[in-house]
Amino acid sequence: MSNLFARCNVGIFALALSALGAMTGSSLAQAQQPRYGGELVFPVPSEPPSYDGHKEETFGLIHPVAPHYNGLMRVDPTDPSGTKPVGDLAESWTISKDGLIYTFKLHKGVKFHDGSEMTSKDIKASYDKIIFPPPGVVSDRKGQYEVVESIEAVDPYTVRFKLKWPTVSFLASLASPWNFIYKADILAKDPHWYETHIMGTGPFIFVEHVKGSHWVGKKNPNYWDKGKPYLDGYRALFISSSSAQVAAVRGERAHIQFRGFTPADRDALKTALGDKITVQESPWDCVLLVAINHKKKPFDDKRVRRALTLALDRYEGSKALQRIAIVKEVAGVQVPGTPYATPPDELAKLAGYWKDINASRAEARKLLKEAGVEGMSFTFTNRGIPMPYEPLAVWLIDQWRQIGLDVKQQVIEAAAYYATLRKGEFDVAMDFQCGYIVEPDLDLYKFTSRERNPANYGFYDDKVLDDLYQKQSRAPNVEERKKFVRLFEKRLLDEEAHYLMTLQWHRIIPHSSKVHGWQITPSHYLNNELDTVWLSQ
Amino acid sequence: MWQFILKRFLLMIPTLLGVAAIIFLLLRVIPGDVVEAKYMSGEGQGMSNQVMAEERAKLGLDKPVWQQFGLWVWRLLHLDLGVSMWTGSPITEEIKLRFALSLQVALMATVIATVLAIPLGIIAALKQDTWVDYAVRIFSIAGLAMPSFWLGILMILSFLIIFKWVPPMVYTPFWVDPWQNMVQLIWPALAVGYRYSAVATRMTRSSMLEVLREDYIRTARAKGLWLKLILVRHALKNAMLPVVTVIGLEFAFLLGGLVVTEQVFNLNGLGLLFVQAIARRDYTLTQALVLLVASVFIFVNFVMDIMYAWLDPRIRHG
Amino acid sequence: MSISAPFDAIEVLDAAPRARWLAVIVDFSRRRPLGAIGAVVVVLMLLVAVSATVISPYDPLTVDFAAMLAPPNAAHWLGTDAYGRDVLSRIIYGSRTALIVGFGAALFGASAGAVLGVGSAYFGGRIDLVLQRFMDIFISFPLIILALAMVAILGNTLPNLITAITIPMIPRCALVIRSSALSVREMPYVDAARAAGFSHARIILRHMLPNVMAPYLIMLTAFLGQAILLEASLSFLGLGVQEPTAAWGLMLSGAAVEFAETAPWMGLFPGLAISLAVFAFNLFGDSLRDALDPKLRTL
Repeated sequence: MSNLFARCNVGIFALALSALGAMTGSSLAQAQQPRYGGELVFPVPSEPPSYDGHKEETFGLIHPVAPHYNGLMRVDPTDPSGTKPVGDLAESWTISKDGLIYTFKLHKGVKFHDGSEMTSKDIKASYDKIIFPPPGVVSDRKGQYEVVESIEAVDPYTVRFKLKWPTVSFLASLASPWNFIYKADILAKDPHWYETHIMGTGPFIFVEHVKGSHWVGKKNPNYWDKGKPYLDGYRALFISSSSAQVAAVRGERAHIQFRGFTPADRDALKTALGDKITVQESPWDCVLLVAINHKKKPFDDKRVRRALTLALDRYEGSKALQRIAIVKEVAGVQVPGTPYATPPDELAKLAGYWKDINASRAEARKLLKEAGVEGMSFTFTNRGIPMPYEPLAVWLIDQWRQIGLDVKQQVIEAAAYYATLRKGEFDVAMDFQCGYIVEPDLDLYKFTSRERNPANYGFYDDKVLDDLYQKQSRAPNVEERKKFVRLFEKRLLDEEAHYLMTLQWHRIIPHSSKVHGWQITPSHYLNNELDTVWLSQ
Repeated sequence: MWQFILKRFLLMIPTLLGVAAIIFLLLRVIPGDVVEAKYMSGEGQGMSNQVMAEERAKLGLDKPVWQQFGLWVWRLLHLDLGVSMWTGSPITEEIKLRFALSLQVALMATVIATVLAIPLGIIAALKQDTWVDYAVRIFSIAGLAMPSFWLGILMILSFLIIFKWVPPMVYTPFWVDPWQNMVQLIWPALAVGYRYSAVATRMTRSSMLEVLREDYIRTARAKGLWLKLILVRHALKNAMLPVVTVIGLEFAFLLGGLVVTEQVFNLNGLGLLFVQAIARRDYTLTQALVLLVASVFIFVNFVMDIMYAWLDPRIRHG
Repeated sequence: MSISAPFDAIEVLDAAPRARWLAVIVDFSRRRPLGAIGAVVVVLMLLVAVSATVISPYDPLTVDFAAMLAPPNAAHWLGTDAYGRDVLSRIIYGSRTALIVGFGAALFGASAGAVLGVGSAYFGGRIDLVLQRFMDIFISFPLIILALAMVAILGNTLPNLITAITIPMIPRCALVIRSSALSVREMPYVDAARAAGFSHARIILRHMLPNVMAPYLIMLTAFLGQAILLEASLSFLGLGVQEPTAAWGLMLSGAAVEFAETAPWMGLFPGLAISLAVFAFNLFGDSLRDALDPKLRTL
């Protein structure tokens, strides 16, 4: 974590040098007295499809809807690595010695917005809906809670989770921003009610949603966490055009956009508004991957796959691309600055991460020659989304050209893209992964064998990798787990080169300097309850 | 005349049905569907095939295509547009506010275009092949030549840089706050109105030229411009008919066709909704939108035909 | 009637093709200076497109991250884009894409429209009625939506893109040509040909089509500019030609919008190129219409 802080500071220092003017650091660092009042206005680049967080997958739901709810746990809103679970409705918890029983004590006096009291049966009902959905209810996330044996409401303020096997990641997975606590009585009557209605315990009460326009919430005066929230309310504006979002912040019609802006937008805002803008940056838990279709020749040959990764000069690429795209860090399978991230010197040992690019490319050419496919040509399939798919594709194609490969780009419209990938109708394609919390269990699952995991677009089965996945997941402690994560990474990226990592996404939030109490994290799904946020004059 | 109107009215029905059938089929040919667009976006972890199949069944996408079509048309006949596949809420609710916005922009642009086009077109025709004519033509052709989104971006950027101002972000209906409403919509209306006026100016000019070529006006040419104008006035009724047609059709087109302009000026209108609906494979919403825009277009066409027939009896029997 | 009388230019051409060429051009430029200016620009554009390999200072596709986002300077007259590619070279090569899309879509659209329009007028009756309904259906479809759906179905390679742009143009052209062809059908020589028992195909090809050349040419020039603009709009929506192809519409979207303030040269120059090209096509087209058939209006 301190690693991340250091990195942020270096980043900020570099920015200040590039004549952008003085930067204020994280707004939480300034120990100011929070001020009450004001309405926070923020554009949201997407719009919630339904209102049910258990069902949807887009930040377009989180940003306007999260302030109406609490979870059992949450990610510490002051933690820049976005990995530290703390209690939300849970006041405290104990874990049994064998690591199989988690007992949570709940806050007392928590009220839903209709005035009824929130108790353990609401927690149980909400988690039952997610983990053991009744027929006709879609729960995309039940697979992530495979480890849960049962949930029990012991007394009104105590809830107990029984696990099938011990895992060090359980608390973090309960801190998921999607797991809103709903009211048991309502769910019992109609499990789909929450798709079209709001009724939570959160710091803000639902006022209105005007389709295609905006979403309004007002302060919950009876919020259980006394003294919060600070804001009188908030207003989310649904604006799909990114230049209009930037214009909104620039014209001071909005305070902040919680997803992220591009480097060009950041520079334009900073130049135009100076001190009125505060920039927060962080590595982003999203990454564009290169899926290599193992079913197509010659990509079944690992020498060819290794050559593809060895061709990439990631360090130089980072320097150029961070000026024009939302990518920056050279990273392994975990976001830099988080507990399981790859230390830089270990990273430099992996294929495609060597510090000497000439040696790397020479090796790549040698491998291609051995495989008998020198100077071959193939098609790179990309998704029709400009940022950052297009710049990364242009970069990849240029890098591959430098080991003598002739690569054509084929762009497929965004909504049709995954249909193409699933059918396996490609040689090499851009793929994408994005998480709500940096956690190896969530981040690495995508790379396990195709037979158990439909999101594997490399179409390979690798029992060794599956085994390493399970070992890291069930490791008894953090140090042990790190070892297995590293082994997994080495096999995935170097030995087998099943998938290629490009550069870690980079999240840039330039916001009005009036906004305080909000900390950037590596995920645009986190930190949106808004209970800690306040506006200065 | 009544017979003609009836016949013309009945002809609208196959056209509308055809539009309905084509958009219905077109959408099903486009790869991907709403379930895929929603859950395979890559933002989430990806869903199992079984869960996706359940979702499809819930939306009725597992039924044979002809059955889906029949059901849709049956509901349409009961004036029921159904619910959006993406949000699950009634389509009327999705469209309401956006329709108001698009309608207002279209109306404002029409007013701007008409006010500009008719005088300019008439003057250009009267002064054919003089510098006045050239100036009007250059002005109007420039309107056609500039990509409207480019013009829009230039406009917004200059507001930002020169006045440090951006138009309001959210649509306020006129009856709620006329000032806020105008301040937001006047700029896109101007940008669109300019291009639109170019089309109408050209039509006015050529239509006037045609009238001016009629023999009795040629004779008057020798007798000075003033007399010519007076004569033209009589013929103006006929000359304006094609102009009105163009204006009417352009108006119908503007209702759903401002896809790019709406994007640039950040207007949540029908055009933007169109693009979103197609990108999300929201079949029901796209179908409803296409039908709505096509109906307006077909209706405007119908009214124009009636007007022509009323003015020119030959058409009725043709 | 509109078709028989105002054929001054074409009749001159027919009479003595070689000797009168120059006279026609001189006459056209004297009477229609705006049209002549348009024609000159169009010809220049053609020359640029043809000689792109010779005149462009850089390869339009070469990525050079060391030179990215450079403002206009001695080495790069119009600056470089986000990938360090030379903007001038990309504009020069982009004229090829523009002309291919423009001529491709316009020729294809106007020709298909002419065949349908003439056929519809010639056969009349039930065929005419059915064809007219089809035209109505396609015209009522919002133009950009049709193009959008076509691109989504076909994918966005250049030929597919041209098809997508063409389809909405066909019925518009067919309508205009049909109304001209209707009057041709009534001409005595068509009746005579029919009486002589010539085949339908022969009558259509030999007698009808040549007589709708004027509206055909006019629609063609009108479509040229429209196709280029439509391609730019599709590019703006991310549905046009794809990277790394050098195309004006593409240069105008994406990074150009994002860097509109910090690197305005990226979007300004291709925008000017599009405007100039469409402007020239329209100037020329309008004057051609005035010369050939002032009664004909194009929407």
